[in-house]
Amino acid sequence: MAKDIRMPKLGQTMEEGTVVTCLVKIGDAVKKGDILFEVETDKATMEVDSPAEGFVKAIIAEVGQTLPVHAPILVLGDKDEVVPQSFIDSLLGGAAAAASTAPVAAPTPAPVQPATQPVAASAPTVSGSAVSLAGVKVLRLQKLGQTMEEGTVVNVLIKTGDSIKKGDVIFEIETDKATMEMDSPNDGVVRAILVESGQTLPVHSPMVILTDKADTPLPQSAIDAIRSSGAVAEAPKATATTPVPVPATPAPAPQVKAAESVPLTTGKVFATPRAKMVAQDLGIDIRRVPLAPGAARLTEADIRKAGQQPTTATVPPQPTLSLGQKVTINRLQRIVGEKMLQSKREIPCFYLNIRADMTELVKLREKLNKNASVKISFNDFIIKAVAMGLRHYPIMTGQLAGDHIQLADSIDIGLAISTPQGLVAPIVRDAFNKSLVEIATYCQGLIDRARSEKLTLDDLSGGCITVSNLGGFGIDSFIPIVVPGQCSILGIGRISDTCVPMDGNILIRKLMNLNLSVDHKVANGADAAQFLDFVKKTLEHAGNFA
Amino acid sequence: MSFKIEDMRKKAVPKIGALIKKGALTADQVKDWLRTMWEIRYFEDRVYDLLGQNIIKGASHLYAGQEAVAVGSIAAIEIGDVIGSTHRGHGHCGAIGNKYAQDEKARQDHWNRMMAELMGKQTGYCNGRGGSMHIADVKNGCLGSTGIVGGNIPTAVGAALAEKHKKTGKVVLSFFGDGSTNTGSFHESMNMASVMKVPMIAIVENNLYGMSVPFYGRSIESAGCAANIENIAERAAAYGIPAKIVDGMDVISVYLAVKEAVEFAREKCQMSMVETKCYRWYGHSRSDAREYRSKEEEKMWKERDPITVLSRKLKEEELATDEELEAIRVQALKTIDTATDFATNSPWPDPKDLAKDVYVEESYPAEVVAKDKEYSSKAMKATETFEKLMKTLEGKTKKEISEKARAAIKADFGMDVIAIKDALIAAQAEEMRRDPNVIIEGEDVGIYGGAYSATKGLLAEFGKDRVIDTAISEAAITGCAVGAAIRGIRPIAEIMYVDFITISMDQLMHNGAFNRYMFGGHAKVPMVLRTEGGVGRCIAAHHSKSLEPWLVNVPGLYVVMPSTPYDAKGLLKAAIRSDNPVVYIEHKATYGQMGALPLDEYIIPLGFADIKRPGKDVTIVSYSRQIMFCLAAAKELADKHGIDCEVIDLRTLKPMDAKTVAESVRKTGRLMTVCESFCMAGMGPEIVRRVIEYPFENGRTGFDYLDAAPVNLAAADVPPPMSEPLENASIPTPDKIVAAVQKLVRK
Ligand SMILES: Cc1ncc(C[n+]2csc(CCOP(=O)(O)OP(=O)(O)O)c2C)c(N)n1
Ligand SMILES: [Mg+2]
Repeated sequence: MAKDIRMPKLGQTMEEGTVVTCLVKIGDAVKKGDILFEVETDKATMEVDSPAEGFVKAIIAEVGQTLPVHAPILVLGDKDEVVPQSFIDSLLGGAAAAASTAPVAAPTPAPVQPATQPVAASAPTVSGSAVSLAGVKVLRLQKLGQTMEEGTVVNVLIKTGDSIKKGDVIFEIETDKATMEMDSPNDGVVRAILVESGQTLPVHSPMVILTDKADTPLPQSAIDAIRSSGAVAEAPKATATTPVPVPATPAPAPQVKAAESVPLTTGKVFATPRAKMVAQDLGIDIRRVPLAPGAARLTEADIRKAGQQPTTATVPPQPTLSLGQKVTINRLQRIVGEKMLQSKREIPCFYLNIRADMTELVKLREKLNKNASVKISFNDFIIKAVAMGLRHYPIMTGQLAGDHIQLADSIDIGLAISTPQGLVAPIVRDAFNKSLVEIATYCQGLIDRARSEKLTLDDLSGGCITVSNLGGFGIDSFIPIVVPGQCSILGIGRISDTCVPMDGNILIRKLMNLNLSVDHKVANGADAAQFLDFVKKTLEHAGNFA
Repeated sequence: MSFKIEDMRKKAVPKIGALIKKGALTADQVKDWLRTMWEIRYFEDRVYDLLGQNIIKGASHLYAGQEAVAVGSIAAIEIGDVIGSTHRGHGHCGAIGNKYAQDEKARQDHWNRMMAELMGKQTGYCNGRGGSMHIADVKNGCLGSTGIVGGNIPTAVGAALAEKHKKTGKVVLSFFGDGSTNTGSFHESMNMASVMKVPMIAIVENNLYGMSVPFYGRSIESAGCAANIENIAERAAAYGIPAKIVDGMDVISVYLAVKEAVEFAREKCQMSMVETKCYRWYGHSRSDAREYRSKEEEKMWKERDPITVLSRKLKEEELATDEELEAIRVQALKTIDTATDFATNSPWPDPKDLAKDVYVEESYPAEVVAKDKEYSSKAMKATETFEKLMKTLEGKTKKEISEKARAAIKADFGMDVIAIKDALIAAQAEEMRRDPNVIIEGEDVGIYGGAYSATKGLLAEFGKDRVIDTAISEAAITGCAVGAAIRGIRPIAEIMYVDFITISMDQLMHNGAFNRYMFGGHAKVPMVLRTEGGVGRCIAAHHSKSLEPWLVNVPGLYVVMPSTPYDAKGLLKAAIRSDNPVVYIEHKATYGQMGALPLDEYIIPLGFADIKRPGKDVTIVSYSRQIMFCLAAAKELADKHGIDCEVIDLRTLKPMDAKTVAESVRKTGRLMTVCESFCMAGMGPEIVRRVIEYPFENGRTGFDYLDAAPVNLAAADVPPPMSEPLENASIPTPDKIVAAVQKLVRK
């Protein structure tokens, strides 16, 4: 039977205690009399020992937390007993009532209950739940008139450490109508002032953190969290004071296989029976599948489309390897490993990131490929752009050769290709003098030869840079390792629709991340940055390729 | 006038002794009649008690008082002759069972089975499916008994037609009450039997009341009255049918009158009527307080109790002693006691057999099914080619082009190209040649060749006995087919417009479709009802409906609707060969529709849909003329909109090939139904239901495979209007199908 252990009254006058140490962990067997916590009261530090025997099922009290007498601090249970979350939740609910502290927050942000908007802070307590910091209150910008939406702080009339009383004037606030006084809705000690004179902020933004007592613990993380919490959607009814909810340990990540970038649809998801069936078969969570514009319900096509996108939770392909297996390293993988180790040892790298707007290029590519016999890939454009960039910034072709830096004779660019045997990066020779179509044709040949293990030594030697594209795997951005013998390597992410501010509007553009890892022995940041910026701009102006 | 009414009551009844002396009867025979009358009487008394104890449930119309009619009439026929019974049929069933019983054991067995049927037991004559109102031993000379007043008379006409057709020399006794002579079925049947000249005897049991209403006159002031003539025999006269009136309380009188009528029927192959004046002892049913007749009247009739009348005669003529008569009574009582015990101790029918015997189970050899698939797609291709040739070939006249195109199809595909009308004629002709028991009856099917020419030329080949023009009597046409089918021939009844099926419905459903089941699986009704429906000729609401939903709602029927000449011929041949009643509905706008079909003989198995066009995006399910609209729409959708429709022709609506449809939806995820009938509780919703419920081998149902809400296109819920634009607006057309499919796919 699960049994809750509560904060004991360790002395006549004790009303609350701060947890100093926790001496047990979940799963521990404890006997009656074993010490569970060290607790500091206003008088002394004392030990809390177990009033019963059992196994620790949940630790509710966190180190640093100040809890009233009788607040639940720990749950004991039988050896294999599973204590339901609901039991813990009920303890917390009861505690709140008993100790008349701040209400227990709902497990997830509930928009209808803005007062319990959780903020990121330390003090993790119970998984899946969120509790408020005891004795902490946030004063927010009050709506001082019907139409008031924001206010500018004209005067700050308090300072940190002040004890204030309900009704004290704490700020002068200017609205679109007038300058008014804002007074405190609560008693307390000013622990943090989150605004300064001249600042304009929306109604309900946090302004001041009060605590009941001057020494009420208030971790910096909680202050930061409150500061960044912003305006809550609605004012709490009678007062502008918001109890500070502190989220508990984030719930363990739900066991969904793939990336969770698509937000969950809440409420009923309308989907055809077939869509549901296919989703079930493919292991896709229909709540993560976006509805087509104007559509009333998800259909099979939506699910299948989602199933093809790596961003959606799909069943991973059957693993060909099993746990515990010894995987033999093939020659190729050994070479890759050695080279990469050499690179890390010998090449002091710095890393640059830039985003290119590929919108125009996407269109151009579509147009070019429409009736073309040779289809041009994005890599072909990138290789071409890189070739143009290297021509402009030849230093980026260099290699340290004893006392000097030797620049390359021709612009040879490697292309990283994943084959069943492993990773190879054959070279596109003299890329600058090749047309786009020639590059495309050549690359296709390289890829075919790589996949059929027909690359020659010549294909693989030399080069001044490698282009490595993981966009096809859904990767947004990654940092590649420079191939020894080359100056840099360019890592390409996927092209994704992104909201971009442009000319005062927000437009949806197709952006792509470019990460350049550079050998600092050869080039400095400024060179490399200009080179990368050049490549970006080349890609952005589709006219360069027309 | 060519009729005569003979009132036998005016003549002295011959003495039994005299009849025995003449060799017309034996004393044992007459004593056995008495015993049967006692058995019927005790049976009815017992049923009355058991109803009171709720051991027998349901309706029970008791025969007590009328025993002389059943016993005397049935005594006058031979083994192999046929009777048709009514809701008040225990007496008929009792008497004919005794006639067939070879020994005491068989006789006891007979009463056992009767009582068991009344109790709804498995051992009953109909395995508990029929009960009181449908009690019949259809294996032994009984057509069955109906609960629809007057409904049994048309089937008797058909049965008599069958005996005549088969030249068996057998006759049919049709029992019915005074009340039923006011129904259309009675009048249609009397007229039809008279015209057809069939060996039938109508036995009218004029017990003076139809439920509470006196047929004529009244003994209670406030009672109503059903007719303005006293003797029903006069009605027979109106149809040119000779009739007699006899004392129905005297078994000897009844016997002698019916005997004469039976001989007349056998010799002349003609019908006559015997009106028996009789009286029922109990109320119409158990709950009847008999307020509509006076106690004096009851007393007067009861003094003439048929058992008393016969017992007295036997005693007076010293043909039996009191002891003998008492022994007969006691023996009868014992028989009924034993029957009651038997029935009480009999098992109930097993609910798992609930659906047993609705249909005669039929299956087709795999080759037939495979051959149809092959022929069907070949015929589609050949028809398509034919249509192209008709547009491209040159010739002076349309006929010349058509002949050229036909010759090309014959050369290339080995197929003929004919119109649906000719396919129908060919199917019937082939089956009539194959089976001499196939006959056609209906309005204008003879010289005229049918309103839509679907029997044209058949009269010339098969003669008036097999291609029978009838009066305009839809109930009798249908009932006649039912009765003839039950008696072993294969009638094709033509109902000119499906709209008129509203008049046929009682016969088609209650007798045609239900008889097999109601009579415990002992009957079969291998008939075809051919008719046509649909809009397309601007003939308004009484001639343009599509009523197939009415028909598929009838357990026991098959419903077939062809769309091409190939289907029309193969399906009709299969329908004629089927042992189940098949309603075969053509479409009035398609008789001239040309299409290819094999040169050699073939049938199309009933219950198999046909994929008229394979596709992957949408499943369109339809039948009859709408298939052509669907195919036209599918072509446009493919050519102009890149939507690939699968068009499924159900061909047989009942039993429905849900498998083919569900498998298709499994593939496409989208379902549209296109029907020319009204939508509410109609074919479209039914197809959708079948798909949704269809169980797949993997545990999923059709529901799981739907990727859009199914769409039903059907006739507007209006009486089909005459004006052409309105008529077109009232049904699905290719443009509407195209639009609906686009919407369905876009969703
Ligand atoms: C078509 C039809 N209408 C009404 C009834 C209800 N009903 C059953 S028996 C009966 C009376 C029939 O009278 P009659 O034909 O004289 O036979 P009887 O009952 O007198 O033997 C009636 C009205 C019915 N079963 N069928
Ligand atoms: Mg009557």
